[in-house]
Amino acid sequence: MAELSTSLTKDIPETDFNVERERKKQKIGKIVKNVLVYFFLTLCAVLAFLPFYWMVVSSLITEPQYRSPVPTLFPDTFLWKNYELILTQTSTSGASFSQVLVNTLVVGGVSTILGVVVTIITAYALARMNFHGKNLLFTIMLATMMIPGELYTLTNYLTVSDLGWKDTYTVLILPFLVSVYYIYLLRNNFMQIPNSLYQAAKVDGLSDMGYLVKVMVPLTAPTLVSITLLKFIGTWNSYIWPRLVNKSSWQMITNWVTKGFTDNKFVIYDGIVKGVRYGSEPLTTLKMAAVCMVSLPLFILFIFCRKYIMKGVSKSGTKG
Amino acid sequence: MANPEKNFFAKFGEKCKDLWGKFIGLFKKSEAKAQAAAEGEACTEQCGMIGTELTKREKFSRFLKAEQGWLFVLPAIILLCIFTFYPIINAFIRAFQQNYNALTGNYNGWGFENFIRVLKGDTGTGGAKFVQCLVNTVIFTFISVPLSTLLALLISVALNSIKALQRAYQTILFLPYLTNSLAMGAVFATFFTIVGTKNHTDTIGIVNMIFFPNNPIDWMQGGTGYTWNLGAVKIPWTKYVVVIVYEIWSGLPFKILILFSSLQSVNKQYYDAAKIDGASKSTTLWKITTPLIMPMISYLIITGIMGGMKQYTAIVGLFGEQMGRDYDMGTMVGYIYSYVSNGQMGYAFAGSLLLFAIIMVITVINLRVSKKRVTF
Repeated sequence: MAELSTSLTKDIPETDFNVERERKKQKIGKIVKNVLVYFFLTLCAVLAFLPFYWMVVSSLITEPQYRSPVPTLFPDTFLWKNYELILTQTSTSGASFSQVLVNTLVVGGVSTILGVVVTIITAYALARMNFHGKNLLFTIMLATMMIPGELYTLTNYLTVSDLGWKDTYTVLILPFLVSVYYIYLLRNNFMQIPNSLYQAAKVDGLSDMGYLVKVMVPLTAPTLVSITLLKFIGTWNSYIWPRLVNKSSWQMITNWVTKGFTDNKFVIYDGIVKGVRYGSEPLTTLKMAAVCMVSLPLFILFIFCRKYIMKGVSKSGTKG
Repeated sequence: MANPEKNFFAKFGEKCKDLWGKFIGLFKKSEAKAQAAAEGEACTEQCGMIGTELTKREKFSRFLKAEQGWLFVLPAIILLCIFTFYPIINAFIRAFQQNYNALTGNYNGWGFENFIRVLKGDTGTGGAKFVQCLVNTVIFTFISVPLSTLLALLISVALNSIKALQRAYQTILFLPYLTNSLAMGAVFATFFTIVGTKNHTDTIGIVNMIFFPNNPIDWMQGGTGYTWNLGAVKIPWTKYVVVIVYEIWSGLPFKILILFSSLQSVNKQYYDAAKIDGASKSTTLWKITTPLIMPMISYLIITGIMGGMKQYTAIVGLFGEQMGRDYDMGTMVGYIYSYVSNGQMGYAFAGSLLLFAIIMVITVINLRVSKKRVTF
């Protein structure tokens, strides 16, 4: 202690401590730090956004423009014909956009609604009702979450083949209707609702079902909205299962996008450009237009439901 | 061998019944004891009060009321039985049947032949090679997950330290999450793909234009948009770079979301205390912030590894359905699916059990490690 005080008294007179200058130094340091931080974040944001920008730009230029040695980052004219072509033409797999869009919307709508209803009633029973074997059932359900989905996709493939369900909507809806994770999530939400509410509702003469619909569902609405959105996004993005079980006209929008798109009727490019016959070759600009069509609805959904999606994602960490 | 598929559903029904009986017996033993004791007490009390015994009908309605919950969970149970529980059991059976034919349901004998073939790299009438797929998956996962977690940590810390525009940056950085991996995989493929014809290279791809304009690198060496690569430099591992870049980009948003929200919940007092003690910014980051959010970091690494072991669609987006040239960029899941459509289900079942085993090992390691390290 004595040493410290002597050193302090020794040091202070020697250094010309200037408050103004120190403050200035700190201020400059802060500005430099801020500039660096903002630079870093802007760089990351640009890199995160770049693929989307590139996707949109590439979908609006001509194929020769895309293939030119100098990349077109700011096109002066937009070629909407790319979109026109892919939306009216069938892809190389034989499915048209309107067809796969209808498939995706029907399957997405039905499986989301049914899935949420099943999730609600199951979660309610597991959270609020008492019956024999409840805990055992719940444990078994949770245990299946450890098992990779591919393990049961294989048998499901055989099962639906045996049942003759191939090339139907049923096969796209039923196998993935029940999500143990969402049941688990909602059950935990239901458990947090105090029991006194249940007793009060009972006194007021509400049935179990009435209590579920009138009290529990409104109270857990944020979670339900998140589950609904994530489930729909999951269906929108489903690729493996539809490809496995259905032929192209019964497949989903993601299956459509993986196929190549050609200008085989010479709508945009007639004949040979730079030694390439654009008729038979899959064109990147057309593919980017298709990619935009798949990504656009997700963006619109994100703009309107940002809060719920981010909340749902931070809770579940899955895409559905 | 008899044809087991013919009366498969009848048998399945019987099996279900059997299992159900056992199942009921199981819980009746453990749970019913306590419940019965409690109910018995209540019953005698009630009965004593009323002074009569319960009729059969009353008993039945009471039973219905008590077991009403089963009615609620019934739809879920039926679907889970058909599409989850039964397939799991079935996978364990089928994996050990030799030469199982999906069309006729025939097989000849039991044994480990499927597993031996899978591990040996036998591809039957065509498909991916297991060891290569395993190595690919491990490379993708164990490089991209740590890198993206570290980057996510830095971004979250930066995001946490600013005030203006915080929301805007957060939203933009979250955007890549809400995308279709097939679609964005295709976009990333265009960054790296050299497009041209036999005689003429049209474009060398935007990455080559920026970094290697003079001697372009043939990054993809296969894939959908891939055509010709006149004079491009060929390095075998560059296609792995493409996958890892995509994985980092697509893995960041979720990690940033989680880390940023956990950073915001860190008590500000720790930072004040550190400031008083004269800790530098980097010391604060590595000695205070990181340990405090360590549980979240380890959670992200584990979920990242789990997800990485199951990746598939991103590779299809980048390299097409053949996953490069003859499945040379295949992953574990890609391995399984390469055998589904061509009828060689034995390989697929054995492969899926191996994937299951690997994921179990990771889970066990995770439980061990998280017990040791992530407690304060």
